[in-house]
Amino acid sequence: MKKIYLDTVSTTRPDPAVIKTYEDLLEKTYVNSDALYDDGVTLYNLQEDARKRVASLLGVSAEEVIFTSGASEANSLAIKGCAWAHPEKKHLITSIYEHSSVYGAASQLERLGWKVTYLRPDKEGKIAPQAVREALRPDTVLVSIMFVNNELGSINDVKTIAEIVKKESHACFHCDITQALGKIPVDLTNIDLASFSAHKIHGLKGSGALIRRRHVPLEPLVSGGQQEGGLRGGTSNAPLNIVLAKTLRLALEQQPQEEAHDRRLKEVLLQELQEIPEVTVNSPADGIANLVSLSTPVKSEVLLNALNKSGIMVSSRSTCGSRKNEPSRVLTSMGIDDERAIRVSFDRENTEEEILLFTKSLKEIIKKYG
Amino acid sequence: MDNVIYDYIVIRYGELSTKGRNRKDFINCLHANIRRVLKPFPALTYEKFYDGMYIHLNGEEYQAVAEKLKKVFGYAYFAGAIRVPSDLDAIKEAAYKIALSRPYKTFKVNAHRNDKSFPMTSDTINRSVAGHLLANTELKVNVHEPDLMLYIFVKKDATYVMDEKVQGPKGYPVGINHKALLMISGGIDSPVAGYVTMKRGMRLECVHFASQPYTSEQALDKVKELLRILSEYQGEIILHVIPFTELQMQIYRHADESYAITLLRRMMYRIADRIAKKRNILTIVNGESVGQVASQTLESMSVIGSVCDTMILRPLCMADKLEIIDQAVKIGTYETSILPYEDCCTIFAPKNPVTKPKAEKCERYEARFDYEKLIEECLANDEIVHISFDDKKDTEELF
Repeated sequence: MKKIYLDTVSTTRPDPAVIKTYEDLLEKTYVNSDALYDDGVTLYNLQEDARKRVASLLGVSAEEVIFTSGASEANSLAIKGCAWAHPEKKHLITSIYEHSSVYGAASQLERLGWKVTYLRPDKEGKIAPQAVREALRPDTVLVSIMFVNNELGSINDVKTIAEIVKKESHACFHCDITQALGKIPVDLTNIDLASFSAHKIHGLKGSGALIRRRHVPLEPLVSGGQQEGGLRGGTSNAPLNIVLAKTLRLALEQQPQEEAHDRRLKEVLLQELQEIPEVTVNSPADGIANLVSLSTPVKSEVLLNALNKSGIMVSSRSTCGSRKNEPSRVLTSMGIDDERAIRVSFDRENTEEEILLFTKSLKEIIKKYG
Repeated sequence: MDNVIYDYIVIRYGELSTKGRNRKDFINCLHANIRRVLKPFPALTYEKFYDGMYIHLNGEEYQAVAEKLKKVFGYAYFAGAIRVPSDLDAIKEAAYKIALSRPYKTFKVNAHRNDKSFPMTSDTINRSVAGHLLANTELKVNVHEPDLMLYIFVKKDATYVMDEKVQGPKGYPVGINHKALLMISGGIDSPVAGYVTMKRGMRLECVHFASQPYTSEQALDKVKELLRILSEYQGEIILHVIPFTELQMQIYRHADESYAITLLRRMMYRIADRIAKKRNILTIVNGESVGQVASQTLESMSVIGSVCDTMILRPLCMADKLEIIDQAVKIGTYETSILPYEDCCTIFAPKNPVTKPKAEKCERYEARFDYEKLIEECLANDEIVHISFDDKKDTEELF
């Protein structure tokens, strides 16, 4: 049975060019990149070259790039690191529908004595800039709002939110750009902290970065060690960090085509879904092109199992919460019954034919179990 | 988002064209340099005219070509252009395209009619094109501070419509004024001295003194990286790496510590002098600036420079440190220069270096050991390295 992968928001297949470079590096070098003999220095220089390239691709400077194990770690470092660096400021603003690593960091701080305002999305699935403005307080240390929501695909007006935070407060603005990068143009103007993962853009798991503008003080989560400007102790995973540059370059180079391709698939999908009266589309009309959240009369667990039987891989919600028995914060915040919702996501490797096969299966399953 | 629509680049020479009988040499040298930096773009074709040249992009990316051109000395400015037949309707159409290519709000037309057989005067071209833009776009005229200065260059065979003149780094084409030997340490000053030397049309050859293992491989790599940055302006640079440790040790053994740097510098000049003569180089250049450190007082410079009869040029001798730093930042060498590796002047730096050295005293110290033999050894072990801007290619595939 030919499998159909429709869960690209969860992770993507690494680009063959990335795998090749990574394998080469692993084979050629194993020294510690902080060692002072030639091999160590050479590896260090390559890693710093990669850092420069990542920086220039994102329009920041090299010292503002912190390599991490991915967006979850970057989110944790941004939020806790920023709060700990400003112990006198005890208020944070975020939204109820952030990724679990943001939500988790915020609730951890809440337990440690910080006050957190959790904004709710409007009916379009977006966080209103006005709501951010109203929540700002003199002691707000950080505002963290994601660029693109990972379960709905709604795109926040990050430009306006960042501008409000910059101009109307002394708080830092953190943005989880994981689901936006490589999908839509991302401009980091006025964004103090930004996190992303490599594996969502055809890179490797365990790799990502936090962009930290130079004026933002942070406390490390892993202290000791001179790596990453003292913000992340531990021997650098130099080969992984080096290939992040290529991963990001390829993703950004292909972004316009990727977006156009995904938009075409989304149109096909939405058109097909219109033929199934039992299906409601949860994603906003102006959402990201590569993700559609939809609800059916069939319980999502049943639907997932049935699709799985036909070799079609989709998720019912954020994969980072897939083994928990709690309702989805994201969907319930929108008044959507999360027991009946699934998330279909695709990218440049998917075809129209696969979308049609999915909708065909969907129709059959709804007929049978709906 | 800017939408680049040029199919040509027009380069004008400016200062160069005033150079009387040498003009032909200057132009040939400039052309060769332009073609050298644009080698990575094989589709380009070139066409000369009296005061400049046209480069037909033939599909090559304007921005990438422009970045390379900014590293060529010797012309006044260049501009991306749309080439059309010398026909009013075609000119209007090109002007319209350019006006819409960026978010311009105001404009002024500046036509120049080289071809006097063209049936309209410059002024009537201006009015006619402006009228076309006013009627067909939202743009307004502003003759004092326009966003868009639309240049129209009418020639017999074709007309070039341009919006932005990009100033070149000026100076003379590298190679027109013979060669210079740059003494490069790895600090902030010497790369800047090298830059202004190339800008005056001299081709650089460089000498670096390495005292390994007291200085590290990284210190040498840093010098190579600095030269790699500079090599974008002239093409390949030859670097002489002189193993200096033995000579340096002998100086410390035989002279008073306060005179060590003075003697060290005298030895460096002697070696540079020999390299210059051997390589048919007419001048030695370095980054010395009057008063900056003990070895750069007038007394020091005079005692040190007297060992060498090749002409010494010190292009930064009257510049302030901050001016030099500004320029280093501008040419992109600063970040590399400040990497913290020791060079042969900073290892064993004397606590109280002499600021008013006496020539007789230097000679007395130097008489204590056979430095001639050591200099010969240095020259015999001169390691010649060829450095060019594309050297990093071997790791490029990683990214």
